[in-house]
Amino acid sequence: MINSTIFMHPATWFLVGAFFMPVFKRMGLTKVILIAVPLIACLQIQWLPESFGHASYLGFDLVFGKVDQLTRVFLHVFTIMALIGCIYGLHVKETGQHIAAFLYVAGSLGVTLCGDYVTLFIFWELMAVASTFLIWYRKKNRSIQAGYRYLLVHITGGLILLAGIFLRYQNIHDLSFVRIAVEGASVADYLIMIGFMLNAAVPPIHAWLPDAYPEASVTGAVFMCAFTTKTAVYVLARAFPGFEALAILGAIMTLYGVGYAVVENDARRILAYHIVSQVGYMVCGVGIGTAMSINGACAHAYAHIIYKALLFMGAGAVLEMTGKSKLNELGGLYKRMPLAMIFTVIGGISISGFPLTSGFISKSMIIAAAGESHRNILMLMMTMASVGTFLSVGIKLPYFIWFGKDSGVQAKDAPWNMNLGMAIAAFMCIFMGIYPDYLYKMLPFPVHYHPYTAYHISETLQLMGFTGLGFFIMVKKLKPMPKMNLDIDWFYRKGARVFMWIASRPVNAANNWTNEVYRTVGFRFTLAFAKALSWFDWEGIDWVIDGSARGVVKAGDQLRTLMTGKIQHYIGAAIAITFIVLILVLLV
Amino acid sequence: MMVRILNYLNKRSQVLKRLFFVVLLMTVVFDFFAKRHHAHFFGDSIIGFWAGFGILGCLGMIIVCKGLSHVWLEKEEDYYDK
Repeated sequence: MINSTIFMHPATWFLVGAFFMPVFKRMGLTKVILIAVPLIACLQIQWLPESFGHASYLGFDLVFGKVDQLTRVFLHVFTIMALIGCIYGLHVKETGQHIAAFLYVAGSLGVTLCGDYVTLFIFWELMAVASTFLIWYRKKNRSIQAGYRYLLVHITGGLILLAGIFLRYQNIHDLSFVRIAVEGASVADYLIMIGFMLNAAVPPIHAWLPDAYPEASVTGAVFMCAFTTKTAVYVLARAFPGFEALAILGAIMTLYGVGYAVVENDARRILAYHIVSQVGYMVCGVGIGTAMSINGACAHAYAHIIYKALLFMGAGAVLEMTGKSKLNELGGLYKRMPLAMIFTVIGGISISGFPLTSGFISKSMIIAAAGESHRNILMLMMTMASVGTFLSVGIKLPYFIWFGKDSGVQAKDAPWNMNLGMAIAAFMCIFMGIYPDYLYKMLPFPVHYHPYTAYHISETLQLMGFTGLGFFIMVKKLKPMPKMNLDIDWFYRKGARVFMWIASRPVNAANNWTNEVYRTVGFRFTLAFAKALSWFDWEGIDWVIDGSARGVVKAGDQLRTLMTGKIQHYIGAAIAITFIVLILVLLV
Repeated sequence: MMVRILNYLNKRSQVLKRLFFVVLLMTVVFDFFAKRHHAHFFGDSIIGFWAGFGILGCLGMIIVCKGLSHVWLEKEEDYYDK
């Protein structure tokens, strides 16, 4: 029965943990909970049954737990990442940030495990809302604005997804979340795909990512870089393998993201653009749709979550200790933060796919899969992107933060828990590189790929070595400047002003004019009419139904005092209600 | 300790530079001996192809991206605040 299986779902632990976090804080147990909950989830997912948590609600069959090998890989890395992120954020005093992180992880786990679109949508929106708080907790003016943009974009994406789900239900009267065949795909399926692609940050609907992530709180960014995009990769891999659009857009993504990473100045924005690039490999792998490329996408998602989080942790540690994240203000930090430097360099060489690191065994799988399906152009685009990766994140980022010209910025090494989080991630990067079977055994299809061939090593060393040469030839040109670069978000950030202008001038003028006409012509008439109606209502109808209307008026007044007018409160209340509904659904 | 090693290396950047060129040379030399199992792509059968791809790709990418940024995309940091 559902009652006994509710604690089988790893998301439940995070939801309960988030709900009672203020109580735990009172008891001084925050740190215990922060470690215990992800640890329980890590262990628990090893023993999940194939299917659990079936419920019926409003005539829909909800499936909260459907487990196969694809689910397992993602659950595995999501729970490990939650643990690493919680360790990294142990020192954070604001309970709200921990609550937001827990709800966010719960949303991601819920999406990964769900078996139908209704459940998927609920958890999908939970993720969007919870992660917005991770941005707002930076508490800077810029982050508050970026948070609103992030939320609006994700709500739009959610609505597109919802439209797709409704249409799909109308078409086939089935909401189970299964693979969609390329031949039979209808408009509904493409709407769902667009909803998913927004979260995967596929250009041109990617700009929310580099806009929001650099403005998030230090620990918030570590969580965010892991979950939203990779959950999207998971749902794409589940529903849309083999769609040509994904293969092409994915390959474009790899180059688009890395191009911006080459020119950007803010360390966390470089990393954010680089997520676009890395997720591109996975989207392309899903789009190619062979067993090897899907394997590659999963392996790359796993490896990428760990090393990208490691890099965000490193850049976050620098930001936490120095208050700076712009490359032009940093430099020569190796003397002051040597531990963070070692970890970040490990992250940098892993993301570049250096032999003996996790990137070498995962990224190459997708590139080789493209080669094996004779998609040479895709393969070359992705290889080109890995050149750019090494250039931007492998060399440029560490060089201008830790080496280069000494900026004289004062700093000391980060707190122990941040270093521990980075150390675990760094260890995993190297471990997977040396022992690829750890990862390969988890993949959805049997693996026949051997990364450590002489030719592959030769190819990688040449690419890396000569990219390094290119960097040192052009190092003067790459000197970071305090500038920002325009992206697609220009349209809605500048467009919003046009909208506001239209709203404040022409529309407002028209509105005033209508008001004037209405007041002179219609007002008296309406007033008299309303008076008559009101008399009838108050004295006639209400007498019949025993004063209930007066009761409603009273309740309305009470409700009005509850409305504080702050959007945070509304959203908080919305989450609380979602949570309660969820519990009711699960328990019924 | 780590810091001392890096300081030591930092003072000997000329030696490092030479060492780097030796490594580059070795990667190309190594390519002569690497067995090619199944070449799907013409570049796979050319020795040193990926070295050329790396250097040209890197330079090309810097020129194109920095160029685009300079002539079009680059704005002051408070561009949206104005």
